[in-house]
Amino acid sequence: MEFDLFLRYGPALLTGFGVTILCWLVGSFGGLVLGFVLACLYRYGPAPLRWVIYAYVEVIRGTPFMIQLFILYYGGPHFGLLLSPIQAGILSFIVYGSPYFSEIFRSGFNAVPHGQVEAARCVGLSEGRILRRIILPQMLVPITAPLTNFFIILTKETAILSVVTVPELLYETQTMAAETFTFVEPFLVLSLFYWLMVIGTSWVGAKAEARVTRHLRKA
Amino acid sequence: MNFSFDVIWHNLPYMLAAARWTLLISLGGMAISLVWGVFVCAARISSGAVLSRLAALYISFFRGVPLLVQLLLFYYMLPYVGLDLPAIAAAILAVGLCSAAYSAEILRGALQTIPRGQTEAADALGIPTFSLWRRILIPQAIRIGLPSLVNELILLVKVSSLASVVGIGELTRISQNITGETYRPLEIYVAAAVIYFLINLVISLLGRLAEKRLQVA
Amino acid sequence: MDETPKDQPIIRISGLCKYFDDFEALRDITLDVNRSEVLCLIGPSGSGKSTLLRCLNFLEAYDGGEVYLEGDLIGWRSAREAPRRPLSSEKLRRQRQHIGMVFQQFNLWPHMTALENVAEALMHVKGLSKSEATTKARAALAKVNLSDKEKNYPANLSGGQQQRVAIARAIAMEPSVMLFDEPTSALDPELVGEVLSVMKEMANEGMTMVVVTHEMGFAAHVADRVAFLEEGRLVACSPPSEIFGREPDDPRVRAFLKTYRERNVV
Ligand SMILES: Nc1ncnc2c1ncn2[C@@H]1O[C@H](COP(=O)(O)OP(=O)(O)OP(=O)(O)O)[C@@H](O)[C@H]1O
Ligand SMILES: [Mg+2]
Repeated sequence: MEFDLFLRYGPALLTGFGVTILCWLVGSFGGLVLGFVLACLYRYGPAPLRWVIYAYVEVIRGTPFMIQLFILYYGGPHFGLLLSPIQAGILSFIVYGSPYFSEIFRSGFNAVPHGQVEAARCVGLSEGRILRRIILPQMLVPITAPLTNFFIILTKETAILSVVTVPELLYETQTMAAETFTFVEPFLVLSLFYWLMVIGTSWVGAKAEARVTRHLRKA
Repeated sequence: MNFSFDVIWHNLPYMLAAARWTLLISLGGMAISLVWGVFVCAARISSGAVLSRLAALYISFFRGVPLLVQLLLFYYMLPYVGLDLPAIAAAILAVGLCSAAYSAEILRGALQTIPRGQTEAADALGIPTFSLWRRILIPQAIRIGLPSLVNELILLVKVSSLASVVGIGELTRISQNITGETYRPLEIYVAAAVIYFLINLVISLLGRLAEKRLQVA
Repeated sequence: MDETPKDQPIIRISGLCKYFDDFEALRDITLDVNRSEVLCLIGPSGSGKSTLLRCLNFLEAYDGGEVYLEGDLIGWRSAREAPRRPLSSEKLRRQRQHIGMVFQQFNLWPHMTALENVAEALMHVKGLSKSEATTKARAALAKVNLSDKEKNYPANLSGGQQQRVAIARAIAMEPSVMLFDEPTSALDPELVGEVLSVMKEMANEGMTMVVVTHEMGFAAHVADRVAFLEEGRLVACSPPSEIFGREPDDPRVRAFLKTYRERNVV
């Protein structure tokens, strides 16, 4: 292994890692928020809106991320949406993740016993407050693990952004590989970076799970 | 903005032809995934500590590294180590080996729901381990895990689009090519999305049908 | 809400009907509950006891008839409209503040401590400050003899203690009526007593209570009147001495109570 390779390409790889993290974080949290909004609209909205959301969820889940990315990035200009690669990447990431998140939230809603909501109505709490104080904290218990899991899945989907020349980790790795005719070193580093992301996410997920299940521990 | 259905209509035959490659990659990948997944699963739950550790390592590697990276590694590395596979074979293999890690876990989960008594009964009858797996455990595990396996197949249809990156003329790649000629990315990619969606719709309907069939049996 | 004269019934139910699709769960129920009265609802499983109770605070929207609490029509804007329109959620919430409810399954909020369970609505419905709410919540917990458990989460309380917290949560709102739906049915036998004694105490202090129960002993000794439901109809409503007397007038009541008699509960 040649270490001066890393000296030369280290900064580029690190920047790539930074871009990966940026796209992943903004895209995932955007998807999370959009997914939550969709799940709420599905739960509280009128029937026609529910059909629209249902169709959205099925269509996005039934098509490859790469095609969604292409529609936004290459097709976008045709309906007046001119995006830089990173913008297109993040936006398509938000769109791509949202139906999965919304399904997770939907299952969370269903996991909260209805009796608790009724009890809250009986003492006169408003629906907004019930959502915030009773339903949300409770649904976090069953959904924290699947949320963590999906964040981990999304770490890997970021690699696809390299296809539209987002200068993320895989893109920089490929550049390095092509310029130096090496494979082992760059891809080893790349694996290490993804591994770090996965480990980090699992760690945060475990912490979050401990936090949201605090009240269930027997004293 | 004008959405031209003509462009789609003219290029539809090429896209449908390319969709056959998409199907080949995903179905071929699924076949490898199932067969190899059974072995990985067996190794994972075997009593041999080394074997089990190795299987766990396999699973965490293939689930931990982006499939696109695996695909590129396969494509570039195989010739490097002297294995000259056609690109399509490399793609199917990469997809299948990766998916096997997931299938193995699905099967493992399914096996856990099969009552231990069945294994003990087979042991008591003197049925050899191999037959036990082939005739009793695997058929049940596949039946129990069917919904997840159908999901996995749908996933494979979607990830087959990654093969476009190494130049295989499946649906995504052909769509890119057509876009290059027609300069109509919106129409072509939307059409591609519709084709992917329909394929997955059919798969999930077939899956549900199969589930019903197996339930009655 | 206007104060009705003391001798007027606090709850008036007249001609109450409730359907679940085509199924008639309640048919033409007419019944008054007087101030400070304890009314027990008994009857076979599926007879509509829970449904009747849940119509009183509009957890179930009744289809016909009227329910008045201190002269206020519950749930609907007007009884004469067709189709009826429900009250705004704001108004409905205001009505429900006067009606406390205790469930068979407690329905405590598991992510809040006993104290937080009681204080939540005091702060966010009554608008009390945190310290006022805490003081009131503590007083309510003291009433149900749980002062020492205020920091416990429901997971760390016994069933009987959870049910008492649920009672505290309801009474802290100072309702004019309390509804109980089989409050002791989910409890181990040795925990039933502590909940019933809290309820008895409330009755002695003059709380108006409507109690669905299978505890015939409680009905016989604490209730002012006992109402017997069967297949959605009110079959009898009389003082316990008549219902539980040697020979109740109604053959259906007699048949129902026979099983209890055989077990020597009454
Ligand atoms: N949400 C609902 N949808 C349809 N039917 C219902 C619903 N709730 C109750 N019912 C029906 O209404 C009837 C009365 O139910 P209810 O729960 O009031 O009975 P109950 O007297 O409380 O019985 P139990 O003693 O078992 O609690 C039953 O036949 C029940 O099946
Ligand atoms: Mg009931």
